[in-house]
Amino acid sequence: MSGTDQLSAVFSALADPTRRAILAELADRDATVTELTAPLPISMPAVSRHLKVLERAALISRSRSGKWRASRLEAAPLREAADWIERYRRFWDSSLTRLDAHLATVRAAGRATGRTAHDPTVPDSTVPDKVDDKERSWTPKPRRSSSRV
Amino acid sequence: MDTETPQIVISRVMEAPRELVYRAFTDPDHFAAWWGPIGNSLPRDEIEFDVRPGGYQRWTEVFPAHPALRVHIYVDLTDVAHGELLDGVMHVTGRLQDGIEPFETRFRVEFHDEADGRTRLEIRQWLPEHLAAPSEQGWLEAFTKLDVTLTSAHAAAVDVEA
Repeated sequence: MSGTDQLSAVFSALADPTRRAILAELADRDATVTELTAPLPISMPAVSRHLKVLERAALISRSRSGKWRASRLEAAPLREAADWIERYRRFWDSSLTRLDAHLATVRAAGRATGRTAHDPTVPDSTVPDKVDDKERSWTPKPRRSSSRV
Repeated sequence: MDTETPQIVISRVMEAPRELVYRAFTDPDHFAAWWGPIGNSLPRDEIEFDVRPGGYQRWTEVFPAHPALRVHIYVDLTDVAHGELLDGVMHVTGRLQDGIEPFETRFRVEFHDEADGRTRLEIRQWLPEHLAAPSEQGWLEAFTKLDVTLTSAHAAAVDVEA
């Protein structure tokens, strides 16, 4: 699998709560299908199917030898990925909060100068399709760095 | 890449009509007023936008509290529909935070009409490919975070489908 295919497999494997429970169990120790099934409300064949998905995503490995085929958690690629996702979610969250405030300011300025094009009660068709100079005229000037904090 | 599931899925309704929200993303003066968390700043003379399919959006982010940082963002716009869609690849370079290497990430922003003159933003973002490479440590810490992230990503996806 290529890197991105691998990553997709990892994320789709992790999207299932039962598989996350299995991984949490394997974090403590290696375990067989029987051992993994015991605390779960599902059948052994169902657990086996989940293990296959986890193995394909390289999140676990399974010993090939012996009667008791133990599954082992593979400490793997996810920390950086999780950090990155976390960072960007926070980024979007704070950006969009600022965007909200910015839009409110712009619309208040529009109302103050008597423009109604962006009033929520006016149908969207009255909103011009293109930015023209008149539209720009009530765009607030961007504040410089020190005043933004 | 198109068929792959984005790792970040955000849906948010803004209290403004679609045309205005779109402009906030595509007009440099608007954009500089809100992009990024509090504490960053976009020098106006380093913002260059040419918003069209095959065009670009370029800017620099500085952080008054962290003068050593200077982040250059070059967005190659692959798909643009006026008032409706921005889709492209964001290249992040420059003097980045410790521990962060330059990277590129695909993103997609859709603008949808909502009732009462509001706009629903649908934001998708894809993990940089280099993060697919395995690393040794910290898997379990990540696991806890991921659980939360995936749950909320899933919830957002369900909202979108509903």
